[in-house]
Amino acid sequence: MTATVVREPDVERRPDRAGRKRRAYRADRRPRTLTYLSLAALVFFSGFPLYWCFVVSSHDNSVLGEVPPPFGLGPNLFENLSRAFGTVPFAKALMNSLVISGSITISVVFFSTLAGFAFAKLRFRGRNILLLLVIATIMVPNQLGIIPLYMLMAKYQLAGTLYAVIAPSLVSAFGVFFMTQYLSEAVPTELLEAARVDGCHTMRIFWHVVLPASRPAAAVLGMLTFMAAWNDFFWPLVVLTPEDPTVQTALSTLASGYVQDFSLSLSGTIIATVPLLVVFGLLGKHIIGGIMQGAVKA
Amino acid sequence: MHTARSSAAPRRRFAAVAAPLLAAALLATAACGDGGKNTPAAGGKVDLTIGTFGEFGYKALYDEYMKANPNVKITERITKTEDHHKNLAAHLATNTGAADIESIEEGWVGQFSSQPGKFYNWMDYGGAEIKAQWPEWKWRQGSAATGEVIGLGTDVGGMAMCYRTDEFAAAGLPTNRDEVSKLWPTWEDFITTGQKFEDAVKAGKVKNAHFMDGPAVMYRSILGQQSVGIYDGDKVVVETNPGVKKAWDLTIDAMNKGLSAKIAAWSNDWNAGFAKGTFATLACPSWMMAYIQSQAKDSSGKWDIAAVPGGGGNWGGSFLTLPKQGKHPQEAAALAKWLTAPEQQAKVFRSVGNFPSTVTLYQDPVIKDFKNPFFSNAPVGEIFSKSVTSMVPQYMGPKSGDINTAVINGLTRVEQGKQTPDQSWAQVLKDIKAIM
Amino acid sequence: MKNILYRLDLKGSPYLYIAPFFVLFGLFGLFPLVYTAWVSLHDWQLISDTHTFIGLQNYRDLFADDSFWNALRNTGQIWVLSTVPQLIAAIFLAHVLNQRLRAATFWRITALLPNMTSVAAVALIFGQIFGRDYGLVNFVLGLFGAGHIDWQAGTASSQVAISVMIIWRWTGYNSLIYLAAMQAVPKDLYDASALDGATGLQQLTRITIPAIRPTIILTVILSTIGGLQVLAEPLLFGGASPTGGSDRQFQTLSLYLYEVAFSRFDFGYASTAAWAMFGVIVIAAIVNYFFVSRLRRS
Repeated sequence: MTATVVREPDVERRPDRAGRKRRAYRADRRPRTLTYLSLAALVFFSGFPLYWCFVVSSHDNSVLGEVPPPFGLGPNLFENLSRAFGTVPFAKALMNSLVISGSITISVVFFSTLAGFAFAKLRFRGRNILLLLVIATIMVPNQLGIIPLYMLMAKYQLAGTLYAVIAPSLVSAFGVFFMTQYLSEAVPTELLEAARVDGCHTMRIFWHVVLPASRPAAAVLGMLTFMAAWNDFFWPLVVLTPEDPTVQTALSTLASGYVQDFSLSLSGTIIATVPLLVVFGLLGKHIIGGIMQGAVKA
Repeated sequence: MHTARSSAAPRRRFAAVAAPLLAAALLATAACGDGGKNTPAAGGKVDLTIGTFGEFGYKALYDEYMKANPNVKITERITKTEDHHKNLAAHLATNTGAADIESIEEGWVGQFSSQPGKFYNWMDYGGAEIKAQWPEWKWRQGSAATGEVIGLGTDVGGMAMCYRTDEFAAAGLPTNRDEVSKLWPTWEDFITTGQKFEDAVKAGKVKNAHFMDGPAVMYRSILGQQSVGIYDGDKVVVETNPGVKKAWDLTIDAMNKGLSAKIAAWSNDWNAGFAKGTFATLACPSWMMAYIQSQAKDSSGKWDIAAVPGGGGNWGGSFLTLPKQGKHPQEAAALAKWLTAPEQQAKVFRSVGNFPSTVTLYQDPVIKDFKNPFFSNAPVGEIFSKSVTSMVPQYMGPKSGDINTAVINGLTRVEQGKQTPDQSWAQVLKDIKAIM
Repeated sequence: MKNILYRLDLKGSPYLYIAPFFVLFGLFGLFPLVYTAWVSLHDWQLISDTHTFIGLQNYRDLFADDSFWNALRNTGQIWVLSTVPQLIAAIFLAHVLNQRLRAATFWRITALLPNMTSVAAVALIFGQIFGRDYGLVNFVLGLFGAGHIDWQAGTASSQVAISVMIIWRWTGYNSLIYLAAMQAVPKDLYDASALDGATGLQQLTRITIPAIRPTIILTVILSTIGGLQVLAEPLLFGGASPTGGSDRQFQTLSLYLYEVAFSRFDFGYASTAAWAMFGVIVIAAIVNYFFVSRLRRS
């Protein structure tokens, strides 16, 4: 099994006592040409579709037929963005999506860490079978679940509310599995034993030992969950109404029209994607900082 | 333990602040989305919802209606066409969530009308008095096989043949629309004209063009002109109906003679094809005009419209239905009837160009004199109304849409060279059996 | 008294911690699942109120249905084409990112950018890029003298195009998961190998990959499960046509399900296909697990 400790990488190379400079540590190696090339390729391949969104949104539909297509931005970006906001209640949609994604993220991360802790570090009867059951639930294709789920929501008068969108996603089997894997490596069992000897009951151990140790993985899980909830499309479309949209369903309304106005749709896409970038940009340092640190062996 | 606590602190602080904030926001916004329940308050105020897709052009009409009927509040829900119908099916299946008025497009109406029990019957809401507004085939399209009328017609597509005058001129064909209409009274003549065009292309007189875009629209147009199509009563007669085979054979013939540019409708290449003139003709319903105008702005004046071969035709159009879940059928029926009344249809035509389905309007100058400058001032009002009124009523059953898709896939397979026409036809029949 | 509470806490808290997951899943996951199974035993049209019980007839029809096997085959082919390159690329990307880079947050967000961009926009853009007459790819091919490929028409070409879309979307996501795991690998291993003169590549293959084996297994299983359910890409590549091409050349299982349920409104048959899909996923996941866990460390 791999090591159970995450250490901070050395901040600077220090010569050892004898004054000899050690060979470059792996984590210290200066990025070389291949690295720079790979990173450039990363930016290009990851970014060009979004860039293309900007290009099309700043022109009009006719650019789609041009070959070679224009590579620069055109004049209509602001106009199309305002049109998008005017056609569809995007402000409300952004608010709704934020609430939905935020709630789901907090819930998933919390419950996944809780269950992950139990599966990873606690001993109880049926642990293996139950874990297998969790994995099995990932395999359930939930496309058709839309109809019975909708019936359920309708029965309890929840159809059309944000609760209906949030409730089915409050827990995630992927989250549980992911945290189980991480916690089994990242939390030293000795630490737990020590805490028990100190007289802590399980919840205290969870709150003071496990939660902090889970930060790097929790941060990643939170990021991925937020994004998945933000981009979820099928279920909100069925259960919500266009008066109370999320950003993705608002995009569907934007794309309606006998003639699809691509520059309008893609400006809507920009509105839908940019908040994610902003959130991750702001929290990114927080998250990345978390990934770099972790529980230190006492 | 110290490190653990200090790194726990920021996280806990964050969670401590974020969680209640989110909870508050959640409660606030969730309360706003109350599921669209409307209970008539004192004074009889009624909230009506209407679900549409595309562009029905009703926005201004809602304001007008609400001014005249201050006790009614109208909320419109617009989504993409496919999503709209998918959601409608889900809402009908679970008996909740549908709007008071739901629009249904021609391609789906057969499926929904097979379950007339889910809708209010228009005959119970004054349908008989207004039936004469619509052509017989449109009224029938909105009715179930068992006779219940579930939909009132909104717009129609009609059918005509749009063509590029510049390419016709280069190919030595006449460009005046009456002469062009005389070129192809039947589809066989259409194919012959196409061959002349292709000869001109081979001779280099026309660059980078074909006569037509692809097989799909030609097939649909020919099929639509038969008196019996896919369904005879409630039986599917694709295998035995010579009308269907005729549509198939003629389209295959056109493909074999090289008339097609092999472009799938609605694809990116198709969109680009308008601006680039990749195809010289295109069977176009009235709503196609707006599409061409948006895709090929710079080609204004290079297009004209002639009659479609074979008589009349129609592609597209929608209906307004009243799902039985609705709590205010009387008010909803009143609104829907008003929206589809001749005066309102004329207003919609003037504002967004959706061609009205009320035949009484066709003699009105608003339609009769309407010309489209983009299409060389073609008298489109007359052209399309003629195609609508000469259209033969044809019953489209519940699975017509899927069956047509299977046939068009078959034609595309032949065009892509994957199968011979006979192989493809055999597979089409097999696919249809699987659909049933 | 304290002893009893302590015992209760020790034995009971694991069950308490995993309970939220199972309770919520029971409500929102199990119910739709069981309901779907029930529906699959009927001749059930979506919007009709009457359903006839027909037992296992739907299943018999399904296994005799060419379109089902075709969809299964397509799904498998697309899975191979997309999952293998994606995971390999993700490891390399994680390796590149696992260095001291300036603006670490920026690179990580860039890696995640494809996952953030909404699927509809992605499909639109890639549909454009792979267009036959005016697409970017064919344009570039034309510069090298190659002919235009009709990407949508062919089986191989359409599946390649869709696989490219999937790879593009998920590589960054998986690389972040690998990255989190790589950061748990202790530095001593790398130091020792550096002293022995190991190159970066050797460190990657001999140290890193074996060290993050559990995570690799995790991603393989998850990619398998996810890859078998791919819906949005084939649906939108074909221009929202549910048949996946004129010859069903790129219709995946999920798309087939979508076509039957929401285009043909045949709820009973679609539920049958959903359960068949579930069976396929379970089998594939098990096979995958055994296969990957057999990979020996060097």
